[in-house]
Amino acid sequence: MALNLRQKQTNHIIRMLNLNQPPNPGGGISSGAGATDEVYKILIMDAFCRAVLSPLIRVNDLRKHGVTLYFGIDKERQKVPDVPAIYFVRATPDNVERIAADAGRGLYDSFHLNFSSSLPRPLLEDLARRTLEKDAVHRISKVYDQYLEFVSLENGFFSLAQPKTYVQINDPSAGEREIEDILEKIVSGLFCVLATLGVVPVIRCARGGPAEMVASALDARLRDHLITRNNLFAEGAGLTSSFQRPILCLFDRNFELSVGIQHDWNYRPLVHDVLGIKLNRVTMPAEKSAVKSYELDDSDPFWVANSWSPFQKVAEEIEIQLSKYKQDADDVNRRTAGKDGVEFEGTYHIGDTKHLANAINSLPELTERKMIIDKHTNIATVLLGEIKERSLDAYCTLETDMLTKGSVDRSALLSLLRGKGTKADKVRLAIAYLLSLETTPQAEVESIETALRESEVDTRAFHYVKKIKSLNAQLTASASSSSRSNIVDWAEKLYGQSISAVTAGMKNLLSGGRELALTRTVEDLMEGKPNPDVDSYLIFDPRAPKTGSGVQLKGPFKEAIVFMIGGGNYVEYRSLMELAQRSQPVKHVIYGTTELLNGTEFVEQLTELGQKMGLGNSGVTPPQ
Amino acid sequence: MNSRPGQASYRDRTQEFLKAVENLKTPFSLVADASSSSTGSILEGPKSTASNQSEFNRKASKIGLGIHQTSQKLAKLAKLAKRTSVFDDPAVEIQELTSVIKQDITALNSAVVDLQLVCNSQNESGTMSKDTTSHSTTVVDNLKNRLMSATKEFKEVLTMRTENFKVHENRRQLFSSSAARDVANPFLRQRPLSSRGISDSNAPSAPWENGSTHSSSLFPRRMMNGEPSSSIQPLIQQQQQQQTAPVQDHYIQSRAEALQNVESTIHELSNIFTQLATMVSQQGELAIRIDENVDDTLVNVEGAQGALLKYLTGAEYVYLMTWSNYLLNMRIQYRDMNCLSKLLPLFTTTPLFCWVSKASPPT
Repeated sequence: MALNLRQKQTNHIIRMLNLNQPPNPGGGISSGAGATDEVYKILIMDAFCRAVLSPLIRVNDLRKHGVTLYFGIDKERQKVPDVPAIYFVRATPDNVERIAADAGRGLYDSFHLNFSSSLPRPLLEDLARRTLEKDAVHRISKVYDQYLEFVSLENGFFSLAQPKTYVQINDPSAGEREIEDILEKIVSGLFCVLATLGVVPVIRCARGGPAEMVASALDARLRDHLITRNNLFAEGAGLTSSFQRPILCLFDRNFELSVGIQHDWNYRPLVHDVLGIKLNRVTMPAEKSAVKSYELDDSDPFWVANSWSPFQKVAEEIEIQLSKYKQDADDVNRRTAGKDGVEFEGTYHIGDTKHLANAINSLPELTERKMIIDKHTNIATVLLGEIKERSLDAYCTLETDMLTKGSVDRSALLSLLRGKGTKADKVRLAIAYLLSLETTPQAEVESIETALRESEVDTRAFHYVKKIKSLNAQLTASASSSSRSNIVDWAEKLYGQSISAVTAGMKNLLSGGRELALTRTVEDLMEGKPNPDVDSYLIFDPRAPKTGSGVQLKGPFKEAIVFMIGGGNYVEYRSLMELAQRSQPVKHVIYGTTELLNGTEFVEQLTELGQKMGLGNSGVTPPQ
Repeated sequence: MNSRPGQASYRDRTQEFLKAVENLKTPFSLVADASSSSTGSILEGPKSTASNQSEFNRKASKIGLGIHQTSQKLAKLAKLAKRTSVFDDPAVEIQELTSVIKQDITALNSAVVDLQLVCNSQNESGTMSKDTTSHSTTVVDNLKNRLMSATKEFKEVLTMRTENFKVHENRRQLFSSSAARDVANPFLRQRPLSSRGISDSNAPSAPWENGSTHSSSLFPRRMMNGEPSSSIQPLIQQQQQQQTAPVQDHYIQSRAEALQNVESTIHELSNIFTQLATMVSQQGELAIRIDENVDDTLVNVEGAQGALLKYLTGAEYVYLMTWSNYLLNMRIQYRDMNCLSKLLPLFTTTPLFCWVSKASPPT
């Protein structure tokens, strides 16, 4: 059972668009909705659900399923009588109010309400009350909980689209209540993912930190849910063998901070870093002050084939594709050129028309290839410009050296900090330096800070990471000497996992690539063999009886869902994909995060945290 | 494992909702009854527009159902067409089914045009909201597209049928051409023959002509026509003294081939033309994302349309030239050709349909 999250989500959405009716078994040719009577519907979404739908469904797919119009719920809409409306919205009070208002105005014939996650009881009653007041209850034909509150970017990659989770969790001024709320949202999102996949995994996480809190909350929620009759995971009761169930590994961003900020040289992370990919779409400024946006997903064969290659290779590939295209286009032109006024000459003509027919047939394919080549040429050109301007290759090499080999080329580091590159780039480099060495000599740190200040760089993020690192050093130092309660205290202050795990791991590497600590840990967890690194990890099994007498399922697992709290990126995704492919037998790994961040965005969040802690300076002397 | 009917990943809360309504109703019941009469009348107010809309919906769903049924018939036809073997040719059924489908498509075509008129008149009457008008327009476009694809499918099935037929004819000729010559030769050498005599005697004796209604029975007819036979006659009379039989045999076979070639060519050309039109019409539907700014894409679509048209006018011109040449040179009574010629106007009008409905092609 391969976990294909995107496909499952698409199927559920299509089912929702067909008004949640079972598909017609005597389908025949699927030239319509498959049902014998065709209903044309209208789709209403809110902003979050629009983000959920955009990577999955295009407008012509909507049309295929009988949806003629689609609107945002906040837009001023007008009456379309005699047509059913499908609402796909989040379960918030505003949406409920809006729905009741629409029903009261009688905008549509019947309302099929689909909430992206479970509608809480108070809101349900609120909806009932409002529609009763407006005497519009007869218009509400169905109310569903769809459990689709996440964005599937690819087959094995999802995001909960919950912005600024890292800041909120690590905020020193955040209260208990606020942090609980945030974690509740994460748990709800994860529950939706699991409901869509239809699996109850075994949950493993490290001790302490948000990961543990999320894991225990999720475990509680799953247990409660499994008790109810007619639950969503109606698998056979006897399925307890670990072979069938996946493992859910929860991590916190602080587990491996360096991945979040480093510069990467492969195509996809580079595009994400420099241009920003949102919901599989990249937007670039083009000439005539218009903004061009391109799709970058599985429908683009060049992207699928080359997105993980290093940038030079991508440029070469574009050249090759372009020359191939030119050849084919010339071919077609030759075949169809010079045929004006040709006479009918019996069999001769058949050959000509066959040529013509072939040429016409190949035209759409050729135009599409040209479009794809143009798109990537544009992207690559803009990337190249940025790379040259910011000398990103130098940053990349330096950071890789520091983080993998632990060797620091001080002069190069300082010259780069004073040289080219945006301010964010410099901060990222400085942070990478901090993270790459276990102990950083004070003098060096000061020289780096001076260099940063000279370039007028906002150093708050840098100071924040320095602070965390020192706290972690204290943590590991005190771990050896003090009691356990102290450690628990520290853990509850949410400074997360020790960063030292990262640096220790970096030293012993496989050649030809940098293995992330995350990947190694996931691999160990999936194998399930006794391993000092992961043995301390907690294990939660919602299906096991509460009194832990049952066998603890420690593996091996064939499938894994890895979730990063606080922000993930494509580098981790790729690393996990490689792990899945190179294991024997092939395993499946799904990677998810609260939000997809590139280096610049993550540094912004670190800066915000630094500001909240009153560290560093942004050019103005901070209040001490 | 996840496709079991009992398991679903969504929860139906409708009953819960209705119960909640019931619970809330009891204190409100008096108030609700008093207000429901007034609000009820407000809701009933714009009844005429609602009934107009429901008429539109009824028509639209009828057309949709018709298209669905026609597609099913097309599937049957495709299966039949694939099934033809050399001797067991269900030509009659195929013919019947073809004419039924043809009628269906013509009827659906006119129904869609009708619907379009209804939609336009409704939109112009100004009683409908903007959203309703765009909804109606989208419904009509959707139906047009589906009818278009059904027509295309029909054409492909016909092409496949004639190709199969050609293949079978060739096979028959391979197997039976030598036999025909042997049979015909001793018979024909003994006396001078007129063209008619040859055709008459050839017709029953050539075994490849039995059962097939298409080419064989038409040869005598064709020979009797004015132009082609007049060109054949002097040729035949010239060669009468020599071994005319094999030459005539050859000639008849080659004429048959030529006919089939012409027919298939016309098929292909109409294919090309429809593809051109479809490509143009489909530009508007390609890959628009839900969250894209519609205005931008419209601009791009029109630009792409223009580029495509400019690129394609060369091929289009060729098509038009060759088609006019056909019409000048060939006047052939051919049963399938008749059927085709009745259909081709349909094929040519439907593309025009699409041109008219989209933005006018840039000059």
